[in-house]
Amino acid sequence: MGPKNKQESHNSPCLAVAIGGLELKNPLMTASGTFGYGEEFAPFVALNRLGAVIVKGLSLEPRSGNPPPRIMETPSGMLNAVGLQNVGARAFIAEKLPFLRQYNVAVIANIFGETVEEYQRVAEILSGAKGIHGIEINISCPNVNKGGLAFGARPDAAAEVTEKVRGETDLPLLVKLTPNVTDITEVALAVEAAGADAVSLINTLTGMSVDIELRRPHLANITGGLSGPAIRPIALRMVWQVANAVKIPVVGIGGIMSAADALEFLITGASAVQIGTANFIRPAATMEILDGIVNYMIRHGIGDITELIGSLNTNQAGEG
Amino acid sequence: MSEKESLLTAQIIDNRRVAPAHFLMTVRLPLSFATPFPGQFVMIRNDECDGPLLARPLSVYGFQRQQDHAVMDLLYRVAGRGTSLFSRMMPGEELCFFGPLGKGFSVPTGVKRVLLVAGGVGVAPLIFLLHKGLLPAHGKGIIETIFYLGARTAELLTGLERLCGSCDLKICTDDGSRGYHGPVTGLLKHDIGGFDAGDTVIYACGPKPMVRAMGNLLQDAPIPCQVSLEERMACGLGACLGCAVAVRTGEGKTDYRRVCKDGPVFDLRDIVFTSPAGP
Ligand SMILES: Cc1cc2nc3c(=O)[nH]c(=O)nc-3n(C[C@H](O)[C@H](O)[C@H](O)COP(=O)(O)OP(=O)(O)OC[C@H]3O[C@@H](n4cnc5c(N)ncnc54)[C@H](O)[C@@H]3O)c2cc1C
Ligand SMILES: Cc1cc2nc3c(=O)[nH]c(=O)nc-3n(C[C@H](O)[C@H](O)[C@H](O)COP(=O)(O)O)c2cc1C
Ligand code: FES
Repeated sequence: MGPKNKQESHNSPCLAVAIGGLELKNPLMTASGTFGYGEEFAPFVALNRLGAVIVKGLSLEPRSGNPPPRIMETPSGMLNAVGLQNVGARAFIAEKLPFLRQYNVAVIANIFGETVEEYQRVAEILSGAKGIHGIEINISCPNVNKGGLAFGARPDAAAEVTEKVRGETDLPLLVKLTPNVTDITEVALAVEAAGADAVSLINTLTGMSVDIELRRPHLANITGGLSGPAIRPIALRMVWQVANAVKIPVVGIGGIMSAADALEFLITGASAVQIGTANFIRPAATMEILDGIVNYMIRHGIGDITELIGSLNTNQAGEG
Repeated sequence: MSEKESLLTAQIIDNRRVAPAHFLMTVRLPLSFATPFPGQFVMIRNDECDGPLLARPLSVYGFQRQQDHAVMDLLYRVAGRGTSLFSRMMPGEELCFFGPLGKGFSVPTGVKRVLLVAGGVGVAPLIFLLHKGLLPAHGKGIIETIFYLGARTAELLTGLERLCGSCDLKICTDDGSRGYHGPVTGLLKHDIGGFDAGDTVIYACGPKPMVRAMGNLLQDAPIPCQVSLEERMACGLGACLGCAVAVRTGEGKTDYRRVCKDGPVFDLRDIVFTSPAGP
């Protein structure tokens, strides 16, 4: 971008980012499972203004999910045990994708499976569909062949599924990391080496809550995934660690409710961010956050969002 | 008038206690707000204070268009932190507000008799249905409307002022302080044999034990019943899949439906009841 362009952009700053070959008009994506298949939010959100829509996690066959109760509010967050309920990859293409195709927005399919082969098949099916611009692999899913341990819990298993899915698709490939590990950078480095174009983090943190009157867990599944502002500092710390470890772009996720929260992640090293639970609380959250980022850039005279990404100054922490 | 849901800031016009721990809130809305169908709900949240994260679902209790704005009534019981914060809000204060949401009640043709069965604050959507959906149809087919209204005790009966004279009212209290001594489903059980399943329809809303009792009661009586369900919600829009209810599908299988989008009104016969203790 030339200097002339930069000057002009002070009133309408340049927000475009590239995530492993995926050119996005801005760094705002919707997090999988929190934005349905896009249609649910169309009354509140100008879908064309989003960087990307990441749809609810897709599996090979439809899944009916866990018994209720599936959600519980906790301090500054919520637990969910939806159980990856979804219509299945084929029904998604036939019934849900045509709606999203009407819009000028990148569509990223979030996929999961219980075996490496299932991940491969889902990736293959989706790669052949018109209107899908990228694939995000959810490796938080339990691996039935490894006693239910999540694929993302170990670097070798995470690398295997990444490599196998890489072999099925030429689309930009994001690997979504679980925070329920000892060292997230090990997993990030492993999936980078296995061919991931970007990593997104974090998925939910496993949590629990109990009804003391009934002495029963609030969720039928007993445990659930914690999301919302409660997890933001942890997510930010992990983004910081991973951004310093890998060379591929990092997409920050976790409790982003406002433009200020999104900016925290960008400054810390995320090339893009995903908005999750905030969509439930304020259905137009993504639009408010986008406007807020633009206002911040104008206020600080920043013409291009890439100037912000990873601009964290750690030399004099706490000082001006 | 938009047919879609809107997201806006609604100003509280009035918010008063109508019974112990029960409040009636009236909010001012723009004229562009879609006219809600009986059984639909709204999601509300107080953005100004450090309250709960998620918005809370409340059924539409009343809705009226005026010259340059619309007003909506909400009738709510203080159940926990969210509703407790609502109860302390003052006229002039603002709520983050979206709706109307969900699929409401339907009034089938050929119906002569309507039974409304409400437990506690479940009265709210049924009174809205009575005024918006049923009374206008009186004389045009419906000849009789009976309202079974139940509460734990007489002082917790709400909505009476909107019911008087408009239908045949049958009151029940758990402690016998007014009307029939026992649950609404107890009184309904006495009466149910006298109704013709061919021209009667039941609408119900109340706490889970009442809905379950309705399910048991109507197992042998083939009267159709539409019931408004309550489940914890995050989005209210059909996106999070958090508000699942188990239903029987056409092929005799069990599947989950979203209370917020596929409901909150369901055919009672489709609902699969699980043990009261949980899953
Ligand atoms: C479609 C729909 C319409 C509703 N309409 C009304 C209404 O018109 N008036 C009214 O008073 N209430 C209504 N409710 C119930 C109301 O939403 C809950 O009472 C409220 O969300 C509780 O929030 P809280 O923060 O006060 O309580 P919390 O502290 O969240 O919970 C207190 C208790 O209420 C239960 N609870 C929490 N959320 C719900 C829920 N969504 N539904 C049922 N129980 C819940 C909890 O399990 C707990 O036992 C409706 C619920 C739904 C799903
Ligand atoms: C109800 C719900 C459903 C979710 N479903 C998925 C899913 O299908 N696939 C996935 O990779 N992540 C899923 N997530 C995780 C989110 O995409 C996101 O990583 C997480 O919620 C943290 O972000 P947040 O705090 O902004 O919500 C889900 C989260 C919630 C709350
Ligand atoms: S509350 Fe989110 S799907 Fe019903």
